[in-house]
Amino acid sequence: MTSIQMPQLGETIVEGTILKWLKREGDSVERDEPLFEISTDKVDTEVPSPVAGTVRKILVEEGTTVPVGTALMEIDEAGAASGAASGDGASGDAASSPASGAAPPAGATADVSAGAASSVGSSAAPPPAAPAPAAAPAPASAAAPAATAVATVPDRGPRSQILSPLVRRLAKEHDLDLAQIPGTGSGGRITKADVMAVISSGAAAPAMAPAQPMPAPSAGIGDEVVPVSHIRRAIAEHMLASTQGTARAWTMVEVNVDHLVKLRERVKDAFQERYGIKITYLPLVVRATVDALLEYPDVNGRLDGENIVRHRFVNMGIAVSYDAGLIVPVVKGADGMNTIGVARSIADLAARARAHQLTPDEVQGATFTITNPGPYGSIASVPIINQPNVGILSLDAIVKRPVVIDDAIAIRSMVNLSMSWDHRVIDGELATRFLARVKQNLESWDFAEDLGV
Amino acid sequence: MATQQVEAGAAGHGAEPRGKRGEDGQATYLIAIAEALWEEMERDERVFMLGEDIGVYGGAFKVTEGFIERFGPERVMDTPIAEETIVGMSVGAAMEGLRPVAEFQYADFMSSGFDEITTVLSRYHYRAGVPLPVVLRGPSGGGVRASSFHSINPEPWYAYAGGIKIICPAFPSDAKGLLKSAIRDDNPSMFLEHKWIYRRIKEQVSEDPEFLVPIGTADVKREGSDVSIITYGAMVHKALEAAEALAQRGISAEIVDLRTVYPLDEETILRSIEKTSRALVLYESYRFLGIGTEVAAVIAEKAFEHLDAPVVRLAPPNVPVPFSPPLEDAFLPQIADIEAAVDRLAGW
Amino acid sequence: MPVPAWLIRPGTVPYDVGNAAMHRLAERRLADEIPDTVILLEHPPVFTAGRRAKVDELLWSPQEVEARGGLVRMIDRGGSFTYHGPGQLVGYPILGLGSRPDAVDYLRRLEEAVIGICGDVGVASERRADVQTGVWVGNDKICAIGVRLMRARVTLHGFALNCETDLSWFRGIVACGLPEHGQTSLSDQLGRRVSVADVLPLAERHLAEVFDLSFQPAPAEIVSPFQVADAV
Repeated sequence: MTSIQMPQLGETIVEGTILKWLKREGDSVERDEPLFEISTDKVDTEVPSPVAGTVRKILVEEGTTVPVGTALMEIDEAGAASGAASGDGASGDAASSPASGAAPPAGATADVSAGAASSVGSSAAPPPAAPAPAAAPAPASAAAPAATAVATVPDRGPRSQILSPLVRRLAKEHDLDLAQIPGTGSGGRITKADVMAVISSGAAAPAMAPAQPMPAPSAGIGDEVVPVSHIRRAIAEHMLASTQGTARAWTMVEVNVDHLVKLRERVKDAFQERYGIKITYLPLVVRATVDALLEYPDVNGRLDGENIVRHRFVNMGIAVSYDAGLIVPVVKGADGMNTIGVARSIADLAARARAHQLTPDEVQGATFTITNPGPYGSIASVPIINQPNVGILSLDAIVKRPVVIDDAIAIRSMVNLSMSWDHRVIDGELATRFLARVKQNLESWDFAEDLGV
Repeated sequence: MATQQVEAGAAGHGAEPRGKRGEDGQATYLIAIAEALWEEMERDERVFMLGEDIGVYGGAFKVTEGFIERFGPERVMDTPIAEETIVGMSVGAAMEGLRPVAEFQYADFMSSGFDEITTVLSRYHYRAGVPLPVVLRGPSGGGVRASSFHSINPEPWYAYAGGIKIICPAFPSDAKGLLKSAIRDDNPSMFLEHKWIYRRIKEQVSEDPEFLVPIGTADVKREGSDVSIITYGAMVHKALEAAEALAQRGISAEIVDLRTVYPLDEETILRSIEKTSRALVLYESYRFLGIGTEVAAVIAEKAFEHLDAPVVRLAPPNVPVPFSPPLEDAFLPQIADIEAAVDRLAGW
Repeated sequence: MPVPAWLIRPGTVPYDVGNAAMHRLAERRLADEIPDTVILLEHPPVFTAGRRAKVDELLWSPQEVEARGGLVRMIDRGGSFTYHGPGQLVGYPILGLGSRPDAVDYLRRLEEAVIGICGDVGVASERRADVQTGVWVGNDKICAIGVRLMRARVTLHGFALNCETDLSWFRGIVACGLPEHGQTSLSDQLGRRVSVADVLPLAERHLAEVFDLSFQPAPAEIVSPFQVADAV
């Protein structure tokens, strides 16, 4: 319900007279349609409606003179759920802006990271973004779609609606609600300084200025100077932001995956023949991790100001290395997939990532991330958290090692599973329990049936 | 070639023109240019100079004073008033393996050889595969009451040709290093020496004969955080003064000296914009189609998402350079104009 | 940074034509289809009555008015009766004030612009907050100002500055509802002829200054509605 008040048409105008109602109770009203005519001692005008809806009640009679701010009329807005309906048409905007907002942040983020010039006018999907700073939260998140707030900046002056390209980009990258940022520029414009003040005060996660330039290369004779690509730059900014913006801690567990290695040896050919893709350990680890995430939902969450948002679904980000650098496509709804489904999804996303064919939607919304440097040979890694996730799991190389079993030495295939995690959100005990759960799952589950061969 | 030894100069550095540095060892822009020429002439016998009054007279601005005594008339060649021929001879000499450095008494007169420069010199390598290591040099720019025949900024005309590197240094050290690089470059270059700077600006300049400044690199002459002023030539010095005044009022201006206007060092420009988010493109070539037009377009296209304000240009109108002092002052961007433009940008 | 704006100077325009065209431009300005626009023109003789006008403030009967070649129109601005006619510069700034409009600020700037214009010509004038919006020389009004907003954010109507207006027309009304105050004009004050043409460039300059506008001529299709010939 929106309350329409006597507007203030000038600093010294303190009251106005309703000359004529243009709408009656029960009439429907379009946004910006005139509701009534007023006269003040300086100027007359008709007053338009800030929302679309139906006139519920008229509170003041024609001919009455009332002070500025007096409630004159009540309007029931059309359609939108109550929730955060404020009197300035936010709901009307929110109804339309996710449609317009969700696509642009994704697309525009891709544009920013991958270089606007190259994606303008291209008919193929734009080059995929580097680990996107998750402009839109997971679909079922209870938090308001902050990234789409670009469309709903309230009117705080004649130029408060002017958002420079820089301001828009910073707001997107840092997941800021521009409606919450006061504009101190000329005419109420939100300036770079205004946005930077919010960012550096830590109200939004990363504390650094995203527009920090790369340090100038000092090239000696014979050195090769390679300009930084936009993807590289975006990766750099994301990584630096994560490192500076999270309280990163790290925990590692050793997992005995001997049986998994044997299983894979046994079934890999049949699996390949049946499903057309290779079976790797990654889908198995994803499944084991999903279970642990559901058990410890804080790890599947994110820090949002004063709240920890626990996502309802698990969208598993899988870090993929490709020619342009690093990208993290997301297996959406991994908690609803079986192992084969996860395997398929990963294979598909990885292949399309390398072919530069991912859509912006596919690199956004991860609630947790797994990286797999194992195939390249590392046995332990300290990955950087893919913000705004709480943790990132590293699956390193599986190596045959001597281990102690029942006081005897045996050779087993072992793997180090480690996680970098954000100590602002969870503590060591939780992180360790979480990892222990993943370990337990991997060591005790029978994946054979799951693999269908 | 008849040459003769010349006595050491005042600062005891040996032959001219290094002997013409000040007591403190600083070199003016003009002397730095002369040193570059001298050192390259000494280094490589294929380098020779030609131009009006450069030999016996020592050059209209005395840049080449002492050269003919040292290097002889075949390498320091006095020509008639025939710019087109000067360029043509340079082209021919370069084809034959020499490395000519042609002086134009005023850069304005280069346009007498416009066709040789744009049709022949700039395209020859493309047509015939033969590189032409020609340097065309001369004093450009105004602010010295020399009026429209002696104050032109011709760089846009020749940048347009596409086959010539166009260098416009603002500081003595840059001038020396860039001229040496130009002479050693196998491609044609135009080296424009802003005459306002000639004797007004001096600084410590390297005496290392291998001191070079790479062509096509810009340089941040003053670091700042609020506004980037992208500029070149004499305007760099005006911008520096404006920046001082602005700093008193709490506005921090970064000044990027292009040094070479063609090709542009886009990376340095864009890096500055990424830092400050506001761009003032300040240039002395005419506003319409002057060098700053290209700079502004590059910034708008490639740094769009880093901009917190529109890209603004400040340059003189496309009119003949006035002779009357108050008119010339009104024509050129002044320090107050630069300050006002930065103020507007900062407050946008 | 001055905001680009259109300037329309269509000469003498019949009141109805000008008023209708002005409203249409205001609608387009409301929809952000066009930039801020200022119209500077003259009208043939007409009395316009605003919302507060009282019937007995028209002292001549409508027939008398018609016999003298004038019209009477009731319009949507605030205020009382006023007169427009040859020799008077009428200005209609159609400006977007944003959705937090400060109408008082707008009126003040209009007054300031007109005071500036008068000053350039050599007439010292002032605003009289104790009397009424407008520009005054002593007790006489030299410029009437009457404004309306469309949808509470775009300005309509504007100002009427007497340059060499035939002030005898004002005897037909109680101008601006103020029987104790008279009218004057620039010519009247200086004892020499000051025409609308003389004042137009000054108006352009002062309006650009107070509203921080950079005027460009409006496109032909914007101007042409003002040039519709009278259908007689």
